[in-house]
Amino acid sequence: MAQVSMTVNGKPVTGEVEGRTLLVDFLRNGLGLTGTHVGCDTSQCGACVVHVDGRAVKSCTMLALEAEGAEVKTIEGMANPDGSLSVIQQAFQDHHGLQCGFCTPGMVMSAAALLAENPKPTEAEIRHYLDGNLCRCTGYHNIVKAILAASGQDVSIAAE
Amino acid sequence: MQELFRPRDLSEALAILAARSEVRPAAGCTDLFPATAAPALQGAHIDLTALEELSGISRTPEGFRVGAATTWREAIEADLPPAFEMLKEAAREVGSPQIQNAGTIGGNLCNASPAADGVPCLLALDAQVELASAEGRRMLPLGKFITGPRQTALGPGELLVAVHVPGEAARGASRFLKLGARRYLVISIAMVAVRLVVEEGRVASAAVAVGACSPVARRLEAVEAALVGAEATPALAARVRAADVAAALSPIDDVRADAGYRLEAAAVLVRRAVSELVTHAGECAA
Repeated sequence: MAQVSMTVNGKPVTGEVEGRTLLVDFLRNGLGLTGTHVGCDTSQCGACVVHVDGRAVKSCTMLALEAEGAEVKTIEGMANPDGSLSVIQQAFQDHHGLQCGFCTPGMVMSAAALLAENPKPTEAEIRHYLDGNLCRCTGYHNIVKAILAASGQDVSIAAE
Repeated sequence: MQELFRPRDLSEALAILAARSEVRPAAGCTDLFPATAAPALQGAHIDLTALEELSGISRTPEGFRVGAATTWREAIEADLPPAFEMLKEAAREVGSPQIQNAGTIGGNLCNASPAADGVPCLLALDAQVELASAEGRRMLPLGKFITGPRQTALGPGELLVAVHVPGEAARGASRFLKLGARRYLVISIAMVAVRLVVEEGRVASAAVAVGACSPVARRLEAVEAALVGAEATPALAARVRAADVAAALSPIDDVRADAGYRLEAAAVLVRRAVSELVTHAGECAA
């Protein structure tokens, strides 16, 4: 076992992990942050997306020890300090950007990464950016609308 | 117990590999994990992403040095001349944004998939690879580094530390085109990288490479020769002969496409890339 330290959602954390422990397993089993989901376990579906040093990555494809010293942000760190939903989360609710909700943590984290880098994306840019996030309820349309809304744009420009 | 080393210093990494030749390098893990048939990684690994010497792209007196642990995202964001545009275009099509943030160029080369998107681009940039071991360093042309599907010239205890692009190859403009069964998150059926240097309206030099159509991506010398010296007009693409493309390649039939379709696709993509480059001929100037 090795010791790993990182900052998760603004709080310093330390834990004992094996070399093979994935970041997602450290978050879920070590820290009890089960909002980050494991869908495919093969870095395709994007349910496990978190931010490491501000970059969106798939936490099922990263070892916990690779995040030593990093700033990690998960879906649990997305709400406002008073507990109310962030703009992106609220937009997902308002526009019904989810059905079963399994992919939603990853969708929200990818949306946040997109808007940090491109605050006013076009519909096409949103769809392109979400290429690594799969929704098997086929809810993409409302997800795209939610992200357009979260960026302060008119959702009616999304193709019906 | 599975072991993981995470050295901060290259000499430390090379010492670990010299003592323990079974330790597998990991540089982003985006190929390593999906290829792991067991529920968790087996055996000992060495994570190279904390090594300063392997990170980032820099200018050197001879040209450009791309650290082996440079991520696709870092390549996209790097300030590079238009000759590197094909590498950036390939980087934008590797997996998804999250994979581009984690996967590395050196990992792509060492994984040595016939469908590795970085390989044709770096071949068309005349790239050399820098290999290091506890014994010393050596340079190899990229075309001699990847020796077959999933096979490289890396010796025991040896690491790929950087990819070098000579200044002479960092000239002109370039284009990368990839064909997959869908637009994103897809393994290439065929992909091409083309770099043209145009001087006084004529092609002064051409580099054309095709991937996923042979055991290792290849430069197409006969196609290049047919382009050099020709006028950089829309008629240039017609100089790309299907027979020259086919002669250099040996595609397989598999679930993604049959060999004939791959050859046809490769020729169409090379012509399309040439055509798009000459349409913006001003950018091809040396």
